[in-house]
Amino acid sequence: MSIGKKAKIAVNLPEAPAAEQLSDLLARCALRDQRAFATLYQVSSAKLFAVAVRITRRRDWAEEVLQEAFVNIWNHAAGYNSTKSAPMTWMTAIVRNRALDWLRRPREVEIDEEHEELMASIPDESPGPEELLRRSLEAGELAECMKTLTEEQQRGITLAFFYGLSHGELAEQMRKPLGTVKTWIRRGLDRLKSCLDELSR
Amino acid sequence: MRFADEKLRDKLAAGYVLGTMSARARRRFEIHLRSNPQLRRAVAQWETRLSPLADALPAIEPPARVWQAIKTRLQIGRPAGARFWESLSFWRVSSFASAVLALALIFLVVAPKPETPVDAGRMVVVMNDLATKKPAMTASWEPAQRGSRTLRIRVIGHAEMAPNTAWELWMLPGGDQKPVSLGLITTHETQVVKIPEALAAKLDSARGLAMSVEPAGGSPTGVPTGPVLCAGESIRT
Repeated sequence: MSIGKKAKIAVNLPEAPAAEQLSDLLARCALRDQRAFATLYQVSSAKLFAVAVRITRRRDWAEEVLQEAFVNIWNHAAGYNSTKSAPMTWMTAIVRNRALDWLRRPREVEIDEEHEELMASIPDESPGPEELLRRSLEAGELAECMKTLTEEQQRGITLAFFYGLSHGELAEQMRKPLGTVKTWIRRGLDRLKSCLDELSR
Repeated sequence: MRFADEKLRDKLAAGYVLGTMSARARRRFEIHLRSNPQLRRAVAQWETRLSPLADALPAIEPPARVWQAIKTRLQIGRPAGARFWESLSFWRVSSFASAVLALALIFLVVAPKPETPVDAGRMVVVMNDLATKKPAMTASWEPAQRGSRTLRIRVIGHAEMAPNTAWELWMLPGGDQKPVSLGLITTHETQVVKIPEALAAKLDSARGLAMSVEPAGGSPTGVPTGPVLCAGESIRT
């Protein structure tokens, strides 16, 4: 598949679809309603494509990932449980997992070099992890809790989340020993969890 | 590996969701995930905790070829907005069913007979298990001009219901309409469900029936929330 040059950032997208609408659509997909599936794709694919592009850092890979993910969503819609997670969270997890599988698939050495190159050329026009963190933290409980982390912890967690970096790749990117990075991430996540649990109590 | 330790479960779930696991660790973890509901819960919790991060990404419209590829993969050709009968003719044409298609074809096990007189015969639905594709349940009733309907259910084989869950029966009106609950059923081999007059006409013309697993007491939202175990299309005999 060729690189999707034509894909562009949608400026005037309507509001994010309501969780209730997405839950209804997923329930109908579970009952094999193709029209519901088409609507689900229409309303959610741009958000999910952004997740795939961010992690794979290549449009053509992201297209493959999005395709895989929607095949999964259709086939596993019956397993979605709206009382356990929000529909967008569930679908985002499917996209992220497919994207991470894609990044971690066995590769030739030359593709690894390509990967290195890509790592160095993370697109400039798109917001970096710090900017994304700032945006996602404008409101909400995760925001409150992220603020309680050290700078390194925040940076490590956002780099891992947005770029799908493994511990090893994180250590390289942050120029720190593997053990140090692992500890930052681990302590950061622990702190986040206890903070979020406290807030939701 | 044992996952009795909650801390260990949580640590692994967090690494999996954040994406810092190596490929091998991911594969191993996913195998445990399939058989361990506590681990699945820990993963779902981390997904929910970190999901606000993903909300910050600006949306990017994917090229049209992605949807084309998905439709080809799943053998679903119906454009959004098409009528149900159009999809039927589509299905008849594309009867070279792949394994994936077989799953999608549950509604079309038998092609409809367009020339059947309105008041002839019984309505029958054979609901196939979505996993095994084998018949799991049948339902039949006499269509009528007025009054309630008596739905006769037959559960095939020795089905088991998990504790604190319920089986909810759904009518699929077809088209763009949401499933309509017909109430809870049991695992008994034969049972009868009374359908009130208000739903009766809709039932006679419904596209099919389905059954989902819901929390005890039934779906809290009015639409199926749990896994759909079986579904099938209405056939006029």
